[in-house]
Amino acid sequence: MTEREAFLDSLATAAKRPRHQLQDHPFKPLNDLPDTTLADLSADDLFALAEKSSEAVHVDFQTTTKAALPQALDAFLAAKAAKTPMLPTSTAFADFGLTTWRDQLTPQPSFWVPNAGREANIDTASHADAAIGFADYLLAESGTITVATTPGQGRAFHFLPTHYLAVIKKSHILSRSRQAMYRYEKAFADGSLKTSNINFITGPSNSGDIEMVLIVGVHGPLDMTYLVVEDM
Amino acid sequence: MPIKTSDHPFLTRLAESEADPFMQAAVAKAQDAQWDKRTAARQDLGNWAQWRELAEQIRQHVVRYLPDYLEEFADNVEARGGHVFFAKTDDEAANYIKQIAIDKGAQHVVKSKSMVTTEIDLDKKLLEIPGMSVLESDLAEFILEEDDFDEPTHIVFPTLHKNRDQIRTIFHDKLGYDGDNDPQHLARFARKYLRASFLQADLGVTGCNFAIADSGLINLVTNEGNADLVMAIPKTQVVVMGMERLVPSLKEAEVLDQMLSRSAVGQKLTSYATFAGRQVDGESDGPEDFYVVIVDNGRSNALGGDFEAVLQCIRCGACLNVCPVYRHIGGHGYGSIYPGPIGAVLSPVLRGYQEFGDLPFASSLCGACSETCPVKIPLHKLLIKHREVMENQLHMDHSFNNVLMKGIGVATGTPAMFRMAMGVDHTMFGPLSKKAPISTENFINNGGFVKNAPSLAKGWTDVRDLPRPPKHTENFRAWFKKHQSENKHA
Ligand code: SF4
Repeated sequence: MTEREAFLDSLATAAKRPRHQLQDHPFKPLNDLPDTTLADLSADDLFALAEKSSEAVHVDFQTTTKAALPQALDAFLAAKAAKTPMLPTSTAFADFGLTTWRDQLTPQPSFWVPNAGREANIDTASHADAAIGFADYLLAESGTITVATTPGQGRAFHFLPTHYLAVIKKSHILSRSRQAMYRYEKAFADGSLKTSNINFITGPSNSGDIEMVLIVGVHGPLDMTYLVVEDM
Repeated sequence: MPIKTSDHPFLTRLAESEADPFMQAAVAKAQDAQWDKRTAARQDLGNWAQWRELAEQIRQHVVRYLPDYLEEFADNVEARGGHVFFAKTDDEAANYIKQIAIDKGAQHVVKSKSMVTTEIDLDKKLLEIPGMSVLESDLAEFILEEDDFDEPTHIVFPTLHKNRDQIRTIFHDKLGYDGDNDPQHLARFARKYLRASFLQADLGVTGCNFAIADSGLINLVTNEGNADLVMAIPKTQVVVMGMERLVPSLKEAEVLDQMLSRSAVGQKLTSYATFAGRQVDGESDGPEDFYVVIVDNGRSNALGGDFEAVLQCIRCGACLNVCPVYRHIGGHGYGSIYPGPIGAVLSPVLRGYQEFGDLPFASSLCGACSETCPVKIPLHKLLIKHREVMENQLHMDHSFNNVLMKGIGVATGTPAMFRMAMGVDHTMFGPLSKKAPISTENFINNGGFVKNAPSLAKGWTDVRDLPRPPKHTENFRAWFKKHQSENKHA
C-alpha cells in the first residue's frame, strides 16, 4: 500500500466513514448568495461601485477612452517620473490600439519576454520603476483586479516594479469574485486558459504589523492605478 | 518552535503577561479597532447569517469527505507535475522538506507566514543544513525572527505585543538600521532588506489558506505581497498545509476568501488572493518544482468525534479579537502557537491534555467567540466538552487530577481571570450561593468555582462580593464595556 493510501485510509478509519462517497454526495450550496449578491446592478452602477471600492483601498482610479489611452499612459509615466518602465508582451496592445504608442515610447521600455528565462525577466522587473499591465477583470464590490499569468506577463511583473498601472475595459467590470471564477473555470475547462497562477489584487500592498498602523507599500508596488477604458 | 511555546506553568505565564501593560493596551486597542472594522465589513456584505451558513456548510462538507477531497487534490497537483507528500507527524513533514532542500542544494530559503511551518518547527530543521539561511518575509514574522525567534502573540497579527521602539531597537541591533521609529520608515527598511534576499532565494516555503481540490491549485490570502514573491522567484516551492484546508473548487475558495478577509482584517478582500500551482510551459517565473506537504500532526484526533468542528477553522483570528480572556492575557499567556479560543480548543486536540489541559479553563465561556466565528464553530461548547472529557478521564485515571487542578488554577489564578471565569455566565454563580465544597467535578459541571477553597483559588477572596453578573442573554459588548470600566476602577 502506498504512503498516500495508508494516510487516507487512516483518516477514514478515524472518522468512521468509508472513503469514496463524494461522487454520490457532491457539494451543493445551501443558498445562492454568491450569485445573487449585487446581481441587479447595471453597467453604470457597477462602474460607480468599482470606483468607490477602488478608492477605498487606496487605488488611483482613472478613466479614459480608447482614443485617449496613449496620453493617459504617458501622463501616468510622467507623474511617476518613470525612467525604467516595463511592459508585458501581449496581443492586448493591438486590441487597445497601443501598438504605435508602445513602439515609440520614451524612455524606452523593457519587456517581460516569453522564453527570456526566469533570471532575465525577474531582473528586469526588479529594476523597473513602473509597470503597465493588462487586467482580465475588475470586481466592483471589492475594487479588485484579476490577472492570470501568461508567458508575456509573468507573476513577478505585478509585484517587483515600484509603481503599477492596470488597464481594464469597462465591459470587463464584474460584480464580484464569483463572476470572475465562473469565467476562469470555463476558460480552464475549454482549454483557452493555460496558466499556473491567477492573482486577485485589491489595491497596493499594505501591512498593519507595526502597532496596527496602516503602511501602504510593503513588498509589492508602492501604489496602484486602475485605468478603465470606458468605450471598450 | 513547535506547538508548545513555553514550559512555564500557566500562572507564571499569566503573571508575565500581566506585567506587560503595553501588551495589554495593544491587545485592547487592536480588539476595539478590529471590532469596528469587522462589523462594518460584515454589514456591508449583508445577509451575514446566511453567508455564515454557507461557509459552515462548505467546511463541514470538506471535513466529512476529507479523504476523498485530499485524493482529488493530490491527483490534480500531480497532473500539473507537482508532488504531494502526506505527513502523519511534524517530524515526518520537517524531515521531508529538509531532504528537498538538501537534494536541491538550496542555501537561501525564503518563507511567507504560515502557522503550520511553525507547528512543525521547520526553521530549526532547515537550519541544521550547513550554510543554510532561512528568512521569514512577512513583516511581522521577520521582526519576530530577528528578535531571536520571539513567539507570535496572535494568528493574524503576530507582533501585536511589540511597540515601534522595540522594533526599531531590533532592526538597529541586528541589521544596522539607524532611522527613527516611524512605522513607515521601519517597513521601508525591511522592504529593501528583504527584497535583496528574495532575489537570491532558491527555495520558497509557503502555507496554504485553501487547497482547490478540482484544480490542484493552492490559494493564499495576504496583504503584503511577500507570499507572491515567494511563489514567483525561487525555482522550487514547498507548500505546507494542514490536511483539512481544502475546498471543492475555485467557487468555494472565493466564498471563504471573502469570509476570511472580512473576519480577519475587516477588508472585503485582502490585497492579494492568489491561486497558484506549478509553472506551466512558456512561463518564466513560478516554481519549476512544486511540492505540497499535507500535515496531520494530531488533526485526525478530531475526526469523527466531539471536536470535529474545530477542523472547520479558517484561521481568521476573529475569536481572539472578541475574547475577554485573550484581551487580558494576550497570546503568550496561552503557551501555544495557537492562542485564544481556537487555540484553547485546538491545542489539546493536537497534543492532548497533559500538555494543554489547562487551556480549556482559560475561558469565560461567554460565547462571544462562537458568535463571531465565520464558519460557526461552537467554540465555547467545545471548551465545555473538553472539560467533560477530562472529567471522564479522571474517573478512569486519578493521576489525571493534576491536569484538572492545573486547569482550575488557570481559571481562578488572578482576580481578573476569576472575574472573567465567573463574569459572563450567570448560571456559574449557582454553586457559589450554595457554598458547595470544591471539587474538580463541580467546577467542571458548573463551569465555576465554589467558595471554601482559598488555597486553590488565589484571588477568590478579592472577588467574592462581586455583584451577580449580567445574564448571558444580555448584550455581550455592553457587558464587556462595563466590565472594562469596573476593572479600571478596581
Ligand atoms: S475558530 Fe472561527 S473565529 Fe476562530 S480563527 Fe477559526 S474560523 Fe476564525
